[in-house]
Amino acid sequence: MTHDDARARVRAFLIPQLAGRPLADSDDIFALGYVNSLFAMQLALFLEKEFGMSLGPEDMDFDNFRTVDGLVRLVTSKAAV
Amino acid sequence: MKHPNDALTRIELQSPVPEALAAEIERRLYFVSPEITGYELVVKDHEVHGMVLYSPEPLDHAALTAKVDYMVNNDVRKQRVTPARSVWTSPNRRAPQGDIFGLLAESGAVTEVGEGQVALGEPLLSLFTYFDKAVCDLLAEDFDAREYRYPTLIRTKALETAGYMKSFPQHLMFVTRLRNDLDVYRDFQDSYAGNGLDSGVLGSCGNVDYCLPPTMCYHTFQQYGGRTVEADRLHVVTSRGKSFRFEAAYSTTLERLWDFTIREIVFMGAREDVLNSRERFMRKVFAFVETLGMSGFCEVGNDPFFCGTDTSERIWSQRLLELKYELRLDVAPDRTIAVGSFNFHDDLFGKAFGIDHGANGPIRSGCVGFGLERLVYAFLCQYGLDSAEWPAQVRSAVVGS
Repeated sequence: MTHDDARARVRAFLIPQLAGRPLADSDDIFALGYVNSLFAMQLALFLEKEFGMSLGPEDMDFDNFRTVDGLVRLVTSKAAV
Repeated sequence: MKHPNDALTRIELQSPVPEALAAEIERRLYFVSPEITGYELVVKDHEVHGMVLYSPEPLDHAALTAKVDYMVNNDVRKQRVTPARSVWTSPNRRAPQGDIFGLLAESGAVTEVGEGQVALGEPLLSLFTYFDKAVCDLLAEDFDAREYRYPTLIRTKALETAGYMKSFPQHLMFVTRLRNDLDVYRDFQDSYAGNGLDSGVLGSCGNVDYCLPPTMCYHTFQQYGGRTVEADRLHVVTSRGKSFRFEAAYSTTLERLWDFTIREIVFMGAREDVLNSRERFMRKVFAFVETLGMSGFCEVGNDPFFCGTDTSERIWSQRLLELKYELRLDVAPDRTIAVGSFNFHDDLFGKAFGIDHGANGPIRSGCVGFGLERLVYAFLCQYGLDSAEWPAQVRSAVVGS
């Protein structure tokens, strides 16, 4: 899986939350108010289902979830293991 | 509390739960059934497989198993384990002293007057005043806070607006009264004369419009509800008041009370301002604890959400996003208690209570709360009852020398 592939799939999942608003890969979707805190759980479930991965305690760093860059980094690092 | 004659009920969970979530099970067991008076978890290979529950009388095993499984499956199992994360550790190492509560009781400084209720005398009252003033002085160094004193009762509606019913039904304490109707009073007096008082009296009440407040910040949000506050500045409100949470059998000494006192500070404003204020004030508090020479740490925490449809999600997201930090101080060689918490609510209460920040939409909020009884108790556990051993700044403020 390439970074671009992961990025496209993550962005596709986020689109309904953006309501047409812009989102840079480094933007914090929580700080921008695009999602609330409970969305973090949806993100985790999405990653596990979409990418067939299992998230463990070592992945529970907010920096992995708050930006597209963080999500892609998490997905590709897990895939590389 | 276990008793030698207690009945034992052994519960095996449907499937094991990581040991890292054991505390989340423990903090809910007494709310599963009032008959439970003690428990021991069965842990093997870093997993909780079940528990032994103690009760004065034998319990229906199947019914209790179903209730425990529901609680574990709904509130705990779906939580994702997050590593413990400390944001501050005191450089001081103080060895907590022995049975401080026993010594306080012997001296008449504390008296247990009910479940989770303790009467306080000196030196606790002066220490109470000292720590409350210390917190307010720290706040005043950086913030222009408005102080309020709130009524003891709070409208149930305010708690509903805050989502308290869905989040913490186990802690609710309603305030009721006889319905103001002559027939009700006469029936009540007749019944009381014949049978005394029992829960049947609730049929003559019927109101659910007021509760005892579980914390002070709901008062503040109710007070500011429906307002548009001035934009481009932070709004800081502080208050001190009695707070009430039903704690079932978890109540113990001054560590966990049904009836206690909170000094609370609410920050309202823009997101970054609120987050920065929480951080700045938190660091001031840590420095204060260090100057007192006390030992403890501050770590990411979570609230005891109970029995809701999204309990696990809320706990996990609270920990992941670090919405809550707890300041924990040593009270025994192997035990700490949370004496304060530093919370960020984002726009939860701004939206719920309709508090706008100029034209910028709902205010973001955060709050800091100190359990003053706990703070005083932790101090005494670490320094003992002899004021000659206390730090000079405390001694001079409390005993004048």
